[in-house]
Amino acid sequence: MKRSHLISGVVVLALMAFLPLIIGQYLLNNAVLIVMFVGITVAWNIAAFGGALSLGHAAFFGLGSYTMAILLLDFGVNPWIGMLAGMVVAAGGGLLLSIPLLRLRGPFFTLASIAFAEVIRLVAVYARDFTGGSEGLTIPYAPGWLNMSFSDREPYYYIVLGLTAIAVLVSVWIYYSRVGYQLRASGSDDEATRALGVNTAVLKVVALVISAALTGAFGAFAAQYFFIVDPETNFSLNLYSIQPALNGIIGGAGTVLGPILGAVLMTPIGEYMRGAFAGQQGLNFMIYGVVLVGVVMLMPGGLVSGIEKLRARFRLKRGVGRRTDTTAALDESRAEDRL
Amino acid sequence: MSLLEIENVSKRFGGVQAVDDVSLHVDEGEILGIIGPNGAGKTTLFNLITGTIRSDTGKISLAGADITTTSPTKRARAGIGRTFQVVRPFLRMTVAENVMVPVLVHTHKVSEARNKAVALLEELGIGKLADLDVSQLTLAQRKRIEVARALATEPKVLLLDEVLAGLNNREVLDVLPFVNQVRARGISIIMIEHLVKALTSVSDRIIVLDQGTLIAQGKSDDVLKDPAVIKAYIGEEDNVEG
Amino acid sequence: MEILIQTLVAGVLLGGVYALVSVGLNLLFGVVRVINFAHGEFVMIGMYIAFWLWAGLGLDPYVSLLIVAPAMFLLGVIFQRGIIQPIQGTSANMKIFVTVGISIILQNLALFLWGGQHRTVSTSYSTSVFNLGGVTISVGRLIAFIGALVLVAALFYIMNRTMTGTVLRAIAEDGPTAVLVGIPVKKFYFVATGISVMLAGVAGVMLTPFTSASPMFGFHMTLIAFIVVVIGGMGSMVGSLVGGVLLGAIETLAGTYISPALQQAVLFAIFIIVVLVRPQGLFGKGAGTEEVGLK
Repeated sequence: MKRSHLISGVVVLALMAFLPLIIGQYLLNNAVLIVMFVGITVAWNIAAFGGALSLGHAAFFGLGSYTMAILLLDFGVNPWIGMLAGMVVAAGGGLLLSIPLLRLRGPFFTLASIAFAEVIRLVAVYARDFTGGSEGLTIPYAPGWLNMSFSDREPYYYIVLGLTAIAVLVSVWIYYSRVGYQLRASGSDDEATRALGVNTAVLKVVALVISAALTGAFGAFAAQYFFIVDPETNFSLNLYSIQPALNGIIGGAGTVLGPILGAVLMTPIGEYMRGAFAGQQGLNFMIYGVVLVGVVMLMPGGLVSGIEKLRARFRLKRGVGRRTDTTAALDESRAEDRL
Repeated sequence: MSLLEIENVSKRFGGVQAVDDVSLHVDEGEILGIIGPNGAGKTTLFNLITGTIRSDTGKISLAGADITTTSPTKRARAGIGRTFQVVRPFLRMTVAENVMVPVLVHTHKVSEARNKAVALLEELGIGKLADLDVSQLTLAQRKRIEVARALATEPKVLLLDEVLAGLNNREVLDVLPFVNQVRARGISIIMIEHLVKALTSVSDRIIVLDQGTLIAQGKSDDVLKDPAVIKAYIGEEDNVEG
Repeated sequence: MEILIQTLVAGVLLGGVYALVSVGLNLLFGVVRVINFAHGEFVMIGMYIAFWLWAGLGLDPYVSLLIVAPAMFLLGVIFQRGIIQPIQGTSANMKIFVTVGISIILQNLALFLWGGQHRTVSTSYSTSVFNLGGVTISVGRLIAFIGALVLVAALFYIMNRTMTGTVLRAIAEDGPTAVLVGIPVKKFYFVATGISVMLAGVAGVMLTPFTSASPMFGFHMTLIAFIVVVIGGMGSMVGSLVGGVLLGAIETLAGTYISPALQQAVLFAIFIIVVLVRPQGLFGKGAGTEEVGLK
């Protein structure tokens, strides 16, 4: 990790910390959602480093929510501990999803991940003794830091900011670590990576488990923030499986900055559309689809790679860097953008 | 005992006998060339040696240890390095980062791995490419990176699958010395090549595969005069001329 | 025992439609090499067209096939030209997300245009049943089953007995070589995608007399079709047929004997098990699946 990254990260975090002083409660709700989706997307992306494009992360999110809620309601376990337990259970889910991850490639893993999350959602609907069935569970309102329950939005905002900061830190740390290099290599070409003596299976499982655990933490947070846990919301394919994946792909899956950029851009657009076209269902998600198809077709590597290409072209035009063999090659050899 | 020994290895895909009862060996520091018409089973043989596919029968051993059923990862760690016929660089990574991937298998510290990778690139005379993204490289450069990457696994045997294919004459002359550089490190090499002249110029010994069987082996001059080899190559005279 | 037979019959009849949807998915996958996550949405579109033609013009769903089939073929051609052609030759992951994007667009377009409510076509025969040796059979389901079988048989005939089919199979076998020997591959991609989308749309129409249309139905069908294709084997048309019927039966049995709430869960569980135990599917050849995504 470069020092400049660390400094800019700290600066952004400091600025974000002042946000509640400037904006009102309504906007703060949006801020909470945006920060949460940045966190979920970044968590999703950790698995994507190794090439795993999951559409089943709602399972981990929901497992986090339900674990915390059930522990709190049935056993009186403190929500903070419940959150940790939620991470552990979600990590267990990640371990389970690793089985198809290691056996299937590309679309088939993606499909298996959808099926995986759907099975868990349906079981949550079915096991009503524990989960309250499709009505779900209600989290009691008991304000206080100890209970992770508040009347104002500020504390929630700081909690989710903290969680997201941790997710980003973990993501950056992995990206620039030994595991990260080997994981990214595996994401680009698994067979070639194995031929170099790298045990990619272990790396991919570790990445998925970390990704799942972090997603579970956000699930637990959401249970406290919304005071309710139900299968349609907390295991929502659209909200917590597809949306983080789309944010990641649009921003640039497998990069550090891409998912953050994608979530920061797309969450407010989605929220705005939902508000502006409240009577017209579907429009906000449709825009998501259009942006996704547009970005993937025009900028296969996502916004981040699009920006990089623009910068490279700009630099070339200004004649920065001498025109050597290699910069000439830059014009000709287009990156075969394999995700 | 040879460094790498392959005894009676066969592989069948559906109705096609891709490799049929092939035995060969490579000694320490030796360069073994493999030629043969398209579909002769050359790349399949490589895949059998690296473990990407399992052989149906036969035995493969490296430095005396049986590796017939060992995973590709373990074989790579045991000392079998390879390049691919179609270059397969890790995209969205710099050249140095590409080379770091195998270095990190043994070197756990990232900064140290980077130094080693850059040092290796410099040793091979391509240090100036270190910080370029692989997508910016020409084919000849990518081929060299792939060799460098395989070298970074510190192999005992290096399998080169058509490293010269797709290169123009000037580029071939750029890449060929690379092979001798590798040998100078005491690494044995098996190379598949269509350019017979280029191959014989660096090989100590060559073998010829045709339809999965080994039809000739020995010193290059003798092998190329072998009637069976000439027959296998009928209609492909151009290739023999190199 | 009676319930069992009753359930099995209903399941097999439904399975015929699943088979029809799945052979289309398999065809597109085999020839064009695209895993189409929007395939079920075409079923949904077929259903909605049939519904609106019935609601607006009073057209019987089976009559509306005359409009739906060519319209869906055309939609397939547009889909091929506008979406698939530009992404052909890119990575599998890109293809996933483009077709996932199309699926999201179509699903939400339907939601936006027609709302979330279920749209039901009611015809004179919608609820009519007849009795066969103690087993009650729904007329609509039986017609759907027979229609699906006829179409699947027609596709088999086209694929195995006509020039077009021979070329399509050649492309599926080895695309690059087909290009080399001068086959206008792009043109045949239009045919394959057109047929694939048309079959999905027609399957949708067949479902309307006894199934209501809703925006989310397409996604459900996509998953079903994928499971069928995986169970039957990638690239195996016979596999899709058998797999479809099998899945229809399993789904209905699970609904009756386990719980309707867990119907889908059982299907997904079977999918995951098949993938782990026999990744090439019941009729898959194995060798080809390696290249196209299954390990």
